[in-house]
Amino acid sequence: MNYVLNDRESSKIIEFIKNFARKNSLWVLAYGTGCGAIEIPPTMTSRYDAERFSIRGAATPRQADILLITGYLAVKTLKRVIRAYEQMQDPKYVIGFGSCTINGGMYWDSYNTIKQLDLYIPVDVYINGCMPRPEAVIAGFMKLQKLIGENQAKGWKHYKENLEWYRQNQRKLIKNWKMPDYNW
Amino acid sequence: MEDLLYENQVIKELQANFLEDIIDAIVQRKKRVIFKVKNNKIESILLFLKEKMGFLHLSHISCVDWIEENRFELIYILWHPQEKINVFVKIDVDRLKPVAPNIDYIWEHANTYERELREMYGIEFKGLVGRQELILEDWDGMPPMRRDFDTLQYVMENYTFRSGREDAQDVRETIANRTGEEIPEFAKKYSR
Repeated sequence: MNYVLNDRESSKIIEFIKNFARKNSLWVLAYGTGCGAIEIPPTMTSRYDAERFSIRGAATPRQADILLITGYLAVKTLKRVIRAYEQMQDPKYVIGFGSCTINGGMYWDSYNTIKQLDLYIPVDVYINGCMPRPEAVIAGFMKLQKLIGENQAKGWKHYKENLEWYRQNQRKLIKNWKMPDYNW
Repeated sequence: MEDLLYENQVIKELQANFLEDIIDAIVQRKKRVIFKVKNNKIESILLFLKEKMGFLHLSHISCVDWIEENRFELIYILWHPQEKINVFVKIDVDRLKPVAPNIDYIWEHANTYERELREMYGIEFKGLVGRQELILEDWDGMPPMRRDFDTLQYVMENYTFRSGREDAQDVRETIANRTGEEIPEFAKKYSR
């Protein structure tokens, strides 16, 4: 078995099979911030039926693959999001949802919402719009599936490698840092 | 004035009991009476309204920041379930040393409103018990709902923006340039 895994061609095939499995079983953490969470129920239910693209809800962070940040993110919520993200098992992906996560959106001058999501957690796919309709949401998911299939969605690896940089940005906002260190 | 019978009765009854404490009393419209009272008598007036006149429900405690006149205005909004009438009781609080009486022994849920005001405006309520934080976490600095809190400055100091927003164009102008449409004179002053 060992020599099969060390063989370059075989490991390519194994990688392909792994990615195929990952992209066709996306479990989305049932968690929403801001107004975008209201677009998730129509996406998941019978009208748009995201389950035909193998996207389903998961109850807890430890069971989920995808963290959706649906809209504006207050500093207080950012704490919870970081904790939820760090508890998720590898591989994990983040989708930023709506213009608020991209550049603040209509909350660009609010004292309590973050403006750029990818300073704090790595984002694999952004879906723009305020709010994106379910078609756009599904398009974003399919884009993510494409990236996973091509082995391009490496936000979680990036987060591990550049943890110091992310921590530095997070600590700038979260002044009273009392977060547990998860051990990956 | 048949309509405003009960409204006028509320004013009359309150004036009969607290004549020198009521600064101003008006009926703003049907089912809405506004009192301006003295700061130190607010507790007894609210108690009177609740116990004797049947304003059983405190809808909200609101606050207005009159920065030019150097005062906060606290507004206690009461509701009469039977007569379906609102009473607004207003008091003034000094802006430099904002201290107001605590009324959470009259209505328990006033505690939440007072904690919010403490956090958002920095108003101290005498003897208010409860955790210091309600909504904001780890907030040190000026309470954010005060009018002299510069939101934009705070945002520029604490957050960074992705580039690409500074050249935001007026949509109307862009479309007009593309299609050769003429922008009317009155609309030009609205465009950047």
